[in-house]
Amino acid sequence: MIMLKFNNITKIFKTDIIDQPFTALSDVSFVIPSGSMVGFLGANGAGKTTSIKIIMDFIRADQGVIEFDQKLGKNKLEIFQKIGFLPERPYFYPGLTGEEFVHYMGSLSDLTRPQIKASLDKWGERFRISHAMKRPLKTYSKGMLQRIGFLTTVLHDPDFIILDEPLSGLDPVGRKELKDAIISLHQEGKTVFFSSHIVPDIEEVCDRVIFLKEGKLVYDGEVKKILGDGQEENFIIKFYAEGVDPRGYFPNIEKLPGDLWKCIVPSVDKERCLKVLLEHNMKIQKIDNDKKTLEQIFYQIRTQS
Amino acid sequence: MKKVLIISGYTIKDHLKSKVMYVTLFLALSIVLVTFVATEFTYGVPEKVAIDFGLGLLSLSSLAISIFMGSSLLSKEIESRTVYMVISRPVSRAEFISGKLLGLILIQGLNFLILSVTTISMTLLFGGSLNQLIFQALFFCFLESLLALLLVVFFSLGCNIFISTSITVLMIIIGHGIQETNNLSFVLNRPYLKWFLDQYHFVFPAFYKLNLKDFVIYNQSIDFSIILSNSLYGIFYCLTIFLGIIFIFNKKNID
Repeated sequence: MIMLKFNNITKIFKTDIIDQPFTALSDVSFVIPSGSMVGFLGANGAGKTTSIKIIMDFIRADQGVIEFDQKLGKNKLEIFQKIGFLPERPYFYPGLTGEEFVHYMGSLSDLTRPQIKASLDKWGERFRISHAMKRPLKTYSKGMLQRIGFLTTVLHDPDFIILDEPLSGLDPVGRKELKDAIISLHQEGKTVFFSSHIVPDIEEVCDRVIFLKEGKLVYDGEVKKILGDGQEENFIIKFYAEGVDPRGYFPNIEKLPGDLWKCIVPSVDKERCLKVLLEHNMKIQKIDNDKKTLEQIFYQIRTQS
Repeated sequence: MKKVLIISGYTIKDHLKSKVMYVTLFLALSIVLVTFVATEFTYGVPEKVAIDFGLGLLSLSSLAISIFMGSSLLSKEIESRTVYMVISRPVSRAEFISGKLLGLILIQGLNFLILSVTTISMTLLFGGSLNQLIFQALFFCFLESLLALLLVVFFSLGCNIFISTSITVLMIIIGHGIQETNNLSFVLNRPYLKWFLDQYHFVFPAFYKLNLKDFVIYNQSIDFSIILSNSLYGIFYCLTIFLGIIFIFNKKNID
């Protein structure tokens, strides 16, 4: 089942008459399967927020169409009833208190007062924001605003959650809490789509990833696949060699300070190397898997011309 | 309609908690002080001066509040991304903008009420009396401020705050001055120019139609048919701009 199809979307911005039009998205297509947790990656200006704005109908594409799962509804209002959206760096009505703002958002989502209260009790406690509900939003810190924003995003129990840079501006504890909340929502069966330029966050929580570069799609698929694809699994072995010159035994070897050495061996050669080390009384200090992280892979893609 | 009322309700709540209402109280105080000072400098007709200054300041103050609130209505929502929080819910753009406008109109109504009560109180204090014409003038004054409010919101859909405010102020000035211009001998001697200026009110807002202050000051009666036609003109113009705002906002990229 597909929750969202982003079909051949092109978006060109014409800033003024003199400047050249700027192509923010060029024939981008991807899908978000139902029940998946999809990370949306790309450097600043890659087109992530533009794509999200098109999905949310804030701006219109010059070409292409957006298709939502028919289960969400037939028209925009029905579909948006089942979507939870959190914009990037949200800033709310400063005069309203946290509680008033939550009631405002809840009533727009057709929730009754008891439903809003139940949701507020559940998420307010979880995000440690209940104590501040009577305070005006202008007194909230950046992290608190992000948390109350997330609270209103999930207030109406949406099936499809779209988050634009949800973890930016949060301290490590806040990031962990929000990531845990996103994971638990995903485990409840929600489809989650969130953009970030922080790759480890995506690698940690997402099962799929979409990567944009300069308005073009570079990758759309499983995180596991991109981590495994085309990678020869290597191991890094660090060891001490006293009175022995190990250079003759290993092809890819490097001298570190003291008697410490480092060699990189392919997986298939790992056992042979360890045997050699033990036979020649060389002490093993550490063995590490030399697998590339998602960040390293995307940094490589980004820097490729 | 329910969503429109919810949005307007919270718009009012947010405004009432902000410092904007202090501006109205400051303007009301200004009306009191200016009227008091002005009557001190006149001889024999303090009640006329009180109503003249009162209505003049009331008109200017409500126009200023309208332009101030209207020019930032959408830009503030977009810059702070609060608009995204609302229209990402099952709320149409028409409901959103109608709710915001209704909220603003009701706040403007409250501002106007405070300033009107101040003006009437000052008139009564200086020996003036209430008559139907004063209330008709107040109604037209409110209509004028609504028209300015809707105009500035309309222009803010395509321009920044400075440009939308400038265009609105220019339209108010021209809209008030066009009738006087029509009576200049320079215009009267040029029938094609006269014809052209006569068409002005069909396209652009003729604010002079909403100005009854002179009738009140000189206690002149005014024909009911003029009151009716000018009221309908103002209401029709407001409705047209309101529909224009909804139409453009529906098409606009909210970026």
